[in-house]
Amino acid sequence: MRGGIRRWLLMATVGFLWAATSVRAQSSREAIDAVLPRMVKIFGAGGLQNLEAYGTGFLVSADGHIVTAWSHLLDTDRVSVVLDDGRRFAAETIGFEPTLELALLKIDAERLPHFDLEEVAEAGPGARVLAFSNMFQVAVGDEPVSVMHGVIAAVGPLSARRGRFEVAYSGPVYIVDAVTNNSGAAGGVLTTRDGQLLGMIGRPLRNADSSTQLNYAVPMTELADTIRQIRTGDFSRRRDEASPDQAQNFTAADFGIVLVPDVVERTPAYVDAVFRESEAAAVGLRPDDLIVFANGRLVPSCKALEVELGRLQPQDDLTLVVRRGGALLTVTMTAPRTVPER
Amino acid sequence: MPLLRMVHWHRAVVSITVMLMASTLVADERLEALEEQAFREAAALAEPSIVRIETVGGLDVLDGLITPSGPTTGVVVGADGWIITSSFNFASRPASILVTTPDGTRRAASVAATDEARMLTLLKVDASRLTPLAAAPLEEMRVGQWAIALGRTFDQPFPSISVGIVSALGRIWGRAIQTDAKTSPTNYGGPLLDVQGRALGIIVPLDPQKTDATAGVEWYDSGIGFAIPMEDIYAVLSRMQAGEQLKPGRMGLTFKDLGPTAGEPIVDRVRAGSPAYDAGLRAGDRITAVDGRVVSRVPHVRHLLGRKYAGDAIALTYMRDGSESAAQMTLVATLEPYEAPLLGILPERVPWAERTGETTGAGVRFVLPDSPAARSGIVRRDVVTKVDGDQIVDAAALRDAVSRHRPGDTVEIGIVRGGREETISVKLTAMSANVPADLPTEAVPAREPAAGEGAPKTGRWVDNLGGDPERSYWAYVPADYDPALPAGLVVWLHPAGDTMEADILRKWQAACDRRGIILVGPKTAQPSGWKPGDIAFVTDLVQELRERYAVDPLRIVVHAYGDAAPMASAVVFRNRETFRGLSLVGASLRAAPPESTPEFSLQFHILCGGNDPEREAAQKSAEALEELRFPVLFQRVEELGHEYPSAEALGGIAAWVDALDRI
Repeated sequence: MRGGIRRWLLMATVGFLWAATSVRAQSSREAIDAVLPRMVKIFGAGGLQNLEAYGTGFLVSADGHIVTAWSHLLDTDRVSVVLDDGRRFAAETIGFEPTLELALLKIDAERLPHFDLEEVAEAGPGARVLAFSNMFQVAVGDEPVSVMHGVIAAVGPLSARRGRFEVAYSGPVYIVDAVTNNSGAAGGVLTTRDGQLLGMIGRPLRNADSSTQLNYAVPMTELADTIRQIRTGDFSRRRDEASPDQAQNFTAADFGIVLVPDVVERTPAYVDAVFRESEAAAVGLRPDDLIVFANGRLVPSCKALEVELGRLQPQDDLTLVVRRGGALLTVTMTAPRTVPER
Repeated sequence: MPLLRMVHWHRAVVSITVMLMASTLVADERLEALEEQAFREAAALAEPSIVRIETVGGLDVLDGLITPSGPTTGVVVGADGWIITSSFNFASRPASILVTTPDGTRRAASVAATDEARMLTLLKVDASRLTPLAAAPLEEMRVGQWAIALGRTFDQPFPSISVGIVSALGRIWGRAIQTDAKTSPTNYGGPLLDVQGRALGIIVPLDPQKTDATAGVEWYDSGIGFAIPMEDIYAVLSRMQAGEQLKPGRMGLTFKDLGPTAGEPIVDRVRAGSPAYDAGLRAGDRITAVDGRVVSRVPHVRHLLGRKYAGDAIALTYMRDGSESAAQMTLVATLEPYEAPLLGILPERVPWAERTGETTGAGVRFVLPDSPAARSGIVRRDVVTKVDGDQIVDAAALRDAVSRHRPGDTVEIGIVRGGREETISVKLTAMSANVPADLPTEAVPAREPAAGEGAPKTGRWVDNLGGDPERSYWAYVPADYDPALPAGLVVWLHPAGDTMEADILRKWQAACDRRGIILVGPKTAQPSGWKPGDIAFVTDLVQELRERYAVDPLRIVVHAYGDAAPMASAVVFRNRETFRGLSLVGASLRAAPPESTPEFSLQFHILCGGNDPEREAAQKSAEALEELRFPVLFQRVEELGHEYPSAEALGGIAAWVDALDRI
């Protein structure tokens, strides 16, 4: 190899990285066209003392269910909603969850474009994202809300960031590198670059110590169950119970990989050995390779890799990005035809 | 069997280009995906070189101001434990620094050296076999290329990422790359990468006009961020590893025109004893080339000088009286402080022409006792018309002419006395802050105070700056305020939790009325006291007052008591162009004072009770300031503890304010 850092690209995997769950990969332009009609502008209480009287929401059902951020905006019985096509409706607050800063509104309408809560995505650092909101009330009437682009800077708990916040929610958030959390942006959405719903933009938060503004969205995976519960009125199913036991369909050994002994909380996923005649050997993996991504997800540890492998279904593709020396290498393997007996 | 193909990066770029040409949405999608993959892979390549830095035991409070705290980022530049990071991270001078390498090991670090020109700090940890980050060559950098900013401040295994482009090269006087990737305390000290995972530079907050460690932080996440080129860092790494403190190199020259549109580089002043002075440069010389490169404007000179450190050599050519000369010098870190000279007069404030009909000269309204002017026989009502034969049109011209001399110089002062011209030799002394407390006030020509609808508000009043309830303040304007006679302005900064409004007003009112001083008291919204963000509030407030009233720019001071002193120092030291004085009561100076310069004069008044536990520290502050050649008046009030003094004791401060325009 001659000079510089070389790079291996497996062109065939383009489109799978960071879009592994996508139904159909689409461009940002197509995604924006699809998302904008699902966004609404909300008007309610406020207008005094730097409290804006406008906000953003998004449709989650064909018959007018709208998710937004729970805020002072809803402290009135005259909340109105303006759809993307300019139609204005009176909205009723049918429920809210203060610990998630989440509220569900309902308007009396039918056959509306909407997000499907059964199809929400997840993403990690570096993933390109789009943000949709009516920040600063730039959009009026039938004007579409504003779109911004950026990447996910980090995913982590809100409380872990520098300084302290006065905020009820303390779960994970997507931190974004675009300035998304402006006045009126709360209740807007963050999507993947191909338009899959990632999270809801929260209200502006300021770090009391460094005086920096935080740009973040609460992942839909944290909100979807609660939205469904408010909508159906069925609170019997707790979120914790709802999640099935972690599947463990496959392990590294099923691909012919032996990882280094998992001795500490975050043992990096180094390859210790590779079985001869295995998938891993066939694609050229070697001892001392460090596995950094699996199917586009970051693999910070041996445990994280096993979680990823556990999710695979028989004959799924497994694309690994490994670091070898100073270079990255991408390989794709196929999961076995059957889940082994354990 | 999955398909495995090796594609060289450049071929990937070609593929991207081909896709662009295809110009379909499918191609858009592929391009977006490829770019996204490139960002993530660049981050993954650099990731082993990025460390997390925690400042354990560090102060949350710097100079009394709460500073950003929390983890920050660093980059490995030497396998055996060398970490480079932004000096911003150490503004709070932490007691102990811990570095966590990507393998999760946490080690104690020590500061090996700092680069004050580029706001970088080199740390050393006891480690080996770390992974240094490769530098992207400067000459390959192009405006518009992708730039990926990484930080390691979140408690997450993977660095945080922000993506943008290179916005400009050679910024901040040739020192920095500019990017629109988001930079903030989240990633200061982290790398700015190209798509190949090489470091373009190290992210630091910078401001072209300011030099303190936190300058530029107000531009966080704005799309205006800076990084110091990694090549430049590696170029001086061995010097830093040897423990050398790198500082900006200085010549000792100033130019008449300082703004961004400054014109020809004509030397205005040459600091005595500076490299430029020793190399023979003098006021009026026009710089024509720096290190062989032709320069025609002041910013050119600053760009070429900006990349240099103290200890570096520089070569100038300059024109004087139509002929060109060359000068070689070695730049220095610190210049001999400027020591202001004193003639010993208070000039008439109402323009002389207006008062007498005379068109030229500076009227003398008071001669300071025991001053050079007094000793040489200059008396009240003399009019100074010449200094060393040069015509003096007004008090400002006299001030400028005198300031160009050094204490000890003898100057020829031309005066008009009773219609007759005379020339008097005066041997200047150093500017002293000693002012008689019974200094007479300016004799105000009797005028009717303005009245009616549009008249400026007088007496005590309150307001919010810009209608912002978090920026409330009170003010007192003397009843006989006269727009024709500019007033002094005292900005009162209250201690934490107590605005002391009634007490201050009661004690200051008479002095304000007598000496024509406007008193303004901003109130901090935080019960815990002033924060760095309030500095802008104070300067905005001064601006507001200057728009509403005629304020004498030579007599704008900040007056603070107790724990407001650090805030007062920060306000004054960071806004030298606005403030001419700092008055502290029951407090010492806990910020490093700036440099005494002729461009922005600055005087100090420190008052402390004889029984105040702070008295020794306060006195030491005064002595330190004197050593830096600042005029300082230290006033000790016997029988006074740690408390705000009586109105009588404050009379000296009012007189000091009133005499700030002395020459």
